[in-house]
Amino acid sequence: MIYILEDAINGVLMGSIYGLTALGLTLIFGVLKVINFAHGSLLMVGMYAAYWAIILTGVHPYVALIVVAPVMYLFGYYLQDIVIKPIFKAEKDVREPITVIIVTTGVWYILDNLTLLIFGPTYRNIQDNPLRGKMLEIGEMFISVPKLWGFVTAVITAAAIFWFLQKTRMGRAIRATSLDREAASLMGINQFKVYNVAFGIGTATAGIAAVTLVPFYNIFPTVGVLFDIKGFIIVVLGGLGSIGGAILGGIIIGLIESIAPQFMTATWTEAIVYGLFLVVLFVKPSGLFGVKYDW
Amino acid sequence: MTRKNINTSAFILLGFVAFGLPLLLRSPTYLHIIILLYLYAYLTTSWNLVGGFAGVLPLGHSAFIGIGAYASTILSLQYGISPWIGMIVGGILAAIVGILIGFPTFKMRGAYFALATIAFGEGIRVMVENIDNLGPLNINGPRGLQIPPTNIGFGNYMFASKEPYYYIILVMLVGVLALTYFISRSKLGYYLNAGGEEPEAAMSLGVNVAQAKLIAMAMSSFLTALAGTFYAQFTLYIHPKSVMSLDFSFEIAFIALIGGRGSIAGPVLGALLLRPVSDFSRIYFGSTLPGLHLIIFGTVLILVMIFQPRGLQEPLSKFYNTLLDRISGQTPQREVKHEYS
Repeated sequence: MIYILEDAINGVLMGSIYGLTALGLTLIFGVLKVINFAHGSLLMVGMYAAYWAIILTGVHPYVALIVVAPVMYLFGYYLQDIVIKPIFKAEKDVREPITVIIVTTGVWYILDNLTLLIFGPTYRNIQDNPLRGKMLEIGEMFISVPKLWGFVTAVITAAAIFWFLQKTRMGRAIRATSLDREAASLMGINQFKVYNVAFGIGTATAGIAAVTLVPFYNIFPTVGVLFDIKGFIIVVLGGLGSIGGAILGGIIIGLIESIAPQFMTATWTEAIVYGLFLVVLFVKPSGLFGVKYDW
Repeated sequence: MTRKNINTSAFILLGFVAFGLPLLLRSPTYLHIIILLYLYAYLTTSWNLVGGFAGVLPLGHSAFIGIGAYASTILSLQYGISPWIGMIVGGILAAIVGILIGFPTFKMRGAYFALATIAFGEGIRVMVENIDNLGPLNINGPRGLQIPPTNIGFGNYMFASKEPYYYIILVMLVGVLALTYFISRSKLGYYLNAGGEEPEAAMSLGVNVAQAKLIAMAMSSFLTALAGTFYAQFTLYIHPKSVMSLDFSFEIAFIALIGGRGSIAGPVLGALLLRPVSDFSRIYFGSTLPGLHLIIFGTVLILVMIFQPRGLQEPLSKFYNTLLDRISGQTPQREVKHEYS
C-alpha cells in the first residue's frame, strides 16, 4: 500500500510537470485558436538553452530561469511575428485556421532536425547538479526532490499566469481577444500584438518547464515529441484553453503512468492514455474542466 | 494542333515514359527510389480523398498502412494465404476501422479531428507493440514480422527483381488517380467539396455531409491498406515503428499539402518534388547532415503555406495552361475550373 502511495505522490509531481509543459499549449490555443504542434520542439529548444546555460556557468539549475525564460519569450514572440502572422493575415475570416497547424508542424520539423544537425543525436544530461537523484525520505517513502521543485514551479507558474490574465491590462486584452477577436480589435486592441505576446508567454512557460525537466531528464533532439503528444492529450483532457485544467490534466496523466504499472506491463499505460484521450474526445470534447466558452 | 490534342499526346508520352522507365533505368537503386516515389504518390492520393476533398486534416493514416501490412503478412505467414487475398482482407478491415473512427471524429472541429486521428494512429501502434499474440494470430510485438523470401512468384506477391514491383505500384497509382478523377466529377465529390468548405450550408441544401465523409474515409483507408501490403511485400520486413510511425502519417500529409490538397495532380506533384529531396539528401548527406531533408521539408512547407496556400499545383498548372496556349496558338479558352480546397 505504501508503495502505491509513494507512486501516487511521485505521479502527481511528475504530472504537474507534464501540466507545466502543456500550459503554453493551452494558453496559445485559448488566444489564437490554434494547436501549436511545435510546442514540444520549443520545449526541446528550452531544454538545450537551459542545458548550455547550466553547463557553461555551473550555477544551480533553477538559476538558469533568469536566462531561459526571457530568451524563450523573445523566441516565441518573433516566431509568431515572422512565421505565423502572415498566415493569420491571409486567413482573417477563418476561426480555426488549419493552415496554421500545418505551419507549426513545419516549425517542429525544422527545429528538431536543426538541433539534430547542430548537437547530434547524443543523449545529454547534467551529471553534477545539486538536484540530480536527490530523494526526500518520509517514513518509508522516497519522494524525488527535482520533481518536487518542478511541482512547486508548476503551481507558481500557473498561478502567475492566472493572475496576469485576470489583473493586468495586457491580460485583459488577451482574454478579450480570445473571446472575440473582431470586437477586441474594435475596442482598439492590436490583435496581432496580443497574439505575439500570448505566443511569447506560451513559449516562455515551455522554457520554464524545460528548466524543471533538465535536472533529471535526458536531453536529445526528439525529446519534444514525447511531450508534444502528451501535451495534446493533457490540454484536451483538461479542456483546451483552461489554465487550471492543463495542470489537472497533467496530474491525471502522471497518476496513470505511475500507478498503472503496478497492475500491468508498463508499456500498456501508453495505450490506456490514448484510450482515455479518445474517450474524452468522443464523449466530452470540451474536456473535463473546460468551460462552455473558450476561456 | 488543338489544345486538347496536345494535352492528350502529352499524357500518352507520359504514359510511355512511365511504362518504359525500368527498361531505360538499369540501376536497382534508382528503381527503388522511384518505386517509393510512386508508393508515396499513391498513399498521398488516397489520403487526399479525406484530407483534400473532405477538408479535414487526418494525421493517423499510417495505422491503415499497418493494418494492411499486418493483415496480409499474418495471413500468408501463418495460413499460407496469398498476399493478394490478404491485401483485400486488409483493405476491408481498414475500411471498417476507418468507418468506426470516422463516425465519431467527423463531428469534431478542425484541430480536434487532427488530434483524434493522431491519438488513434499512435494508439494502434502502441497496441501492436504490446501484443505478441492476438488469439491464434502471432503479431510479434515490437520485433515485427519478417517475410522469408522463399516462394518467389506472382501468386505469392514476391519477386526477385524490382521491375514487377514497379509495374504493380504503377498500376495501383494510375488506378487510384483514375478513381480520384471520377470521384471529383461525381456527386460524391461535389458533396465532399461542399461539406468541406461550408458544412452548414451544404447540410441546409440536403447534402448528407457525414455520410459522404464516411464513404470517403472508407475508400481512403481501404486504398491506404492496399499500399501497406505492397510495402510489406516490397521490403519483406514490417514492424510497428516502420509501418505505423507518426512520421509516416506526417510525411503523407506534408506531400499532399505542399503539392496541393484537394487537387488530382497535387499529391503526385508533391511526391515528385519531395521524395527525391528526401532520398538524395539521405544518400549523400545521411551521415554528415542527418535530418537535412526534414529541414528542407519543413521550410518548403512553411513557404508554400504562406505564399501558395493551395499548394504548388496551382502555379504549375497555370504555367502548363499558358504553355498549351502558346503551343496551340489559340486564345485561351478558360474552362470553368473546379476548385477544391
